[in-house]
Amino acid sequence: MSDEIKEKVPVFRSWNLWYAFVILFLVVLIILFTFFTNYFA
Amino acid sequence: MSQLDWIVLGVSLIGIVAYGLYKSKTTRDLDGYFLSNRTMPWYLVLLSIMGTQASAITFLSAPGQAYTDGMRFVQYYFGLPLAMVLLCITFVPIFHKLKVYTAYEYLENRFDVKTRTLTSFLFLLQRGLSTGISIYAPSIILSSLFGWNIFWTNIVMGGLLIIYTVSGGARAVAYTQQLQFVIIFVGMAVTAYMVVRLLPNGIDFIDTLKVSGRLGKLNVITTGNTDKGFNWNDRYNIWSGIIGGFFLALSYFGTDQSQVGRYLTAKSVSESRIGLLMNGLVKVPMQFLILLVGAMVFTFYQFNQAPLFFNQTQVAIVESSSYKDSLHIIQQRYSSLSAQKKKLVEQFVGDYKSGRNTDQPVTALKQVNKETEKLRSDFKNILEKEDVNGDSNDTNYIFLRFVVDYMPKGLVGLLIAVIFLASWGSIAAALNSLASTTVVDIHKKFVQLDCTEAQDYSISKWYTFAWGIFSIIIAQFAGNMGSLIEAVNVLGSLFYGVILGIFLVAFYMKSIRGNAVFISAILVEIIIILSFVWPWLTKKIPSVIDKMPSFIQHFMEGMANISFLWLNAIGAIGMIVMSFLLQLVLKKRTN
Repeated sequence: MSDEIKEKVPVFRSWNLWYAFVILFLVVLIILFTFFTNYFA
Repeated sequence: MSQLDWIVLGVSLIGIVAYGLYKSKTTRDLDGYFLSNRTMPWYLVLLSIMGTQASAITFLSAPGQAYTDGMRFVQYYFGLPLAMVLLCITFVPIFHKLKVYTAYEYLENRFDVKTRTLTSFLFLLQRGLSTGISIYAPSIILSSLFGWNIFWTNIVMGGLLIIYTVSGGARAVAYTQQLQFVIIFVGMAVTAYMVVRLLPNGIDFIDTLKVSGRLGKLNVITTGNTDKGFNWNDRYNIWSGIIGGFFLALSYFGTDQSQVGRYLTAKSVSESRIGLLMNGLVKVPMQFLILLVGAMVFTFYQFNQAPLFFNQTQVAIVESSSYKDSLHIIQQRYSSLSAQKKKLVEQFVGDYKSGRNTDQPVTALKQVNKETEKLRSDFKNILEKEDVNGDSNDTNYIFLRFVVDYMPKGLVGLLIAVIFLASWGSIAAALNSLASTTVVDIHKKFVQLDCTEAQDYSISKWYTFAWGIFSIIIAQFAGNMGSLIEAVNVLGSLFYGVILGIFLVAFYMKSIRGNAVFISAILVEIIIILSFVWPWLTKKIPSVIDKMPSFIQHFMEGMANISFLWLNAIGAIGMIVMSFLLQLVLKKRTN
């Protein structure tokens, strides 16, 4: 059961890639939001 | 409300109840009733997770929050995506592997019965109270709009959703949440479109953003820094959002049965994981868009006179009090300032569009807005006087007042349905989880140990019903809690940190045993609750507080000055540290 669980990382090959992807996603969001805040201020 | 609105509202609500009953067929056992026989695909899990988190409070309070405080509330969700990944790696596979009904069953395997029972009790206390607030949220709509008695409105409101939740359990909850979400997003998208359409000719979407941006309402990213350094009491900034929000999300999705119960209905570990990961990716943009609607409503009220106070019932109370004359003076001044505001905002848009310098109209507009806010504060001060005793917080009424005053026929009914359905989605999931925890962690453990499957099924239905009634009773006392979205979050933060700490110790600190965790949980929870009520205690029992050692007083004062979002992190880290130290002490004693 635990082996089966280990195999099934959705979309990416490993969970480290998921961490990297989510951190990148957050950084992009924060940059866009900062731009949004500054542009309209 | 027009006849068309009533029809739209009635069809939406009755349709959901009927759909819930239609989807009620499950096997008559705990697996069918609480976990829908573990058959749900990831997209239903995703909608169910989102429908559980996004209550009526989200759609009522968030636009009001953006109107009064700007869009910085969105930062509260920044820690959520990271928490989803950690959950998928640690919590989800363990819960699936052990085939548990509730998250708390795992704690008995890892520690002992008393730790499991204490954690389920903390959950029941927190979730039972916050579900009451969630029932109250849509009820204020009806009572405010139609002058209905809030007591009976709460009862009718909570009663309708109980019908399909009792009947169909987790399956009915998941399927109705799917339909509710479609209606909710159609309603919110049409509202955003209508706000721009209602503005004067020539004002487009970008102009709307420019106005609210220059007036400080599009402050999505804030750092919490002041001239005196970082402000720990600042509720929403990027750091409290990422760190505090991470712990809150980890605790809410990993240890709150109302969420754990949703992704345990998935047909496999992978389906649970994809549902949670997708939630992490869509939550922040979704919340951003809801807040944006509030910022747009703010712009709308620069061109049109906003009510002095958005809860008209409170205005009527002052109107019939001895402060009537003061109210009239405030109202006259407010109308004159609103007219000035309209001229200035038109001047600003004209200057901006023709490329002229806009500093002068913006400065003047900010000044007028400041003065109107001062008048609103004066009015709130009247409401807070002892002989008036009114409710001085109108954040939850801002969006609703706008809808009723300016939306076309039919859309008002649809938007009121949106508020109801959003509320039902989260309340239904909460009742289902309260019942599952009571049956699995309390009833079958201490009251009736040997039940047949049919008895389990029947008891589960009765507990769902009983929690529905309890939540309605709590709803009757939820009237003066300020912004409802904050009330729920504050309440959650008092308990979530400790609950999360228990689970983190369970997963990552294998040497720590049940006794150390149990005592630590009680001590840390007492400290957190005391810190929350400390300002109240210092007023009520100053003589007792003065007798305490000064280091305790300083410590509690410091804790009391920290914004609630940090309590999640403090509770969790406090649990880890205290369990570790206590385990050392207990080990020494045993040796």
